[in-house]
Amino acid sequence: MKTDRIVGKTWRAIWQSGLIFILAAVAGLLMNQARSDTLPLVADWSPEARLTENSGESLIISLEEAKALCSDKDAVFLDARSPEDYVQGHIRCAQNIPWQSFDEYIDRVFETIPDNARIVTYCDGEHCSLSEDLAKELLSMGYENVKVLLNGWTRWLEAGLPVEKGHEGHSDGREGYQWNLLMRPTMNMRTAKR
Amino acid sequence: MAKDQTGFLRGQWKQEGLFALVARMILGAVFIYASIDKILNPAAFAKAVYNYQILPEGLINLTAIVLPCLELILGIFLIIGLFREGSLGLVTFLLLVFFGSMVFNLARGLDIHCGCFSMSTDGTNNTPMVLYVFRDGLFLLPALFLLYRTFLSRRQIADA
Repeated sequence: MKTDRIVGKTWRAIWQSGLIFILAAVAGLLMNQARSDTLPLVADWSPEARLTENSGESLIISLEEAKALCSDKDAVFLDARSPEDYVQGHIRCAQNIPWQSFDEYIDRVFETIPDNARIVTYCDGEHCSLSEDLAKELLSMGYENVKVLLNGWTRWLEAGLPVEKGHEGHSDGREGYQWNLLMRPTMNMRTAKR
Repeated sequence: MAKDQTGFLRGQWKQEGLFALVARMILGAVFIYASIDKILNPAAFAKAVYNYQILPEGLINLTAIVLPCLELILGIFLIIGLFREGSLGLVTFLLLVFFGSMVFNLARGLDIHCGCFSMSTDGTNNTPMVLYVFRDGLFLLPALFLLYRTFLSRRQIADA
């Protein structure tokens, strides 16, 4: 008797679930069509697609280019990982701007990186999105020359390129590494952009 | 049981007991609340789904389109008491799926050494993922209680 009741309720749960799901799918799809920023039903989530701007320009930089920029001291490298990861090892010309606590670092970014600087962001792992998020935020803040080195730390390490340990924070940006940039302070402009 | 005798008042309290009524309202409210931000920012939610790295790419946007609506409908149905068995079953299923995905990523996150814990895209979210897992586990309690009450308990719950 009790079993019959449970079986009956389970069947009811199944057809009700199906009905609710269909209702949600129809409502969701209709709502998506109705909104101005309609999502495509199936999107290309590859890094190449995600990092291509509306203009068609890619934000991805190759390892060779990044290597040249670092050895020529021609770009600011930003490590988007956590300070703990940064201290354990990072690309030699990189300073640490952890995306997870970006708000705390935002002033330092504006103070030390000129508008026209070339910036290369990186993190670690095929699917790591920290560097991508950081790059897009910098672009929206007005920096124009921002690139992402995909899976940067692992590839840099595997290629045997120069790395560094320690230096929590950013001090290496001033000491071990001299930026060779056309630094023309444009503080007013940067402040205005905020 | 003494708890079952709480229903001195007429109506819902009497039919299903205070605990079940409160559990149902809380779960419903949580699901409605959870759906709002996702419905308002589908692109950001799609990114969050992508960051979980569990679904195949072809299903990410569909999930971001349908799941928030499903949560909203389930929340409303739980509160008004419509399709109780179905909505309760789906709610429990979803909570288990969320719980599983978070535990899976918590374990895997350490392995891939990626630092990809941030599910929000504004870079200001420092909440450790363990807390999310714990919170989801908390929501499972009323769901499992209701599931027991609805399917196994001798006490009948009247359908709306």
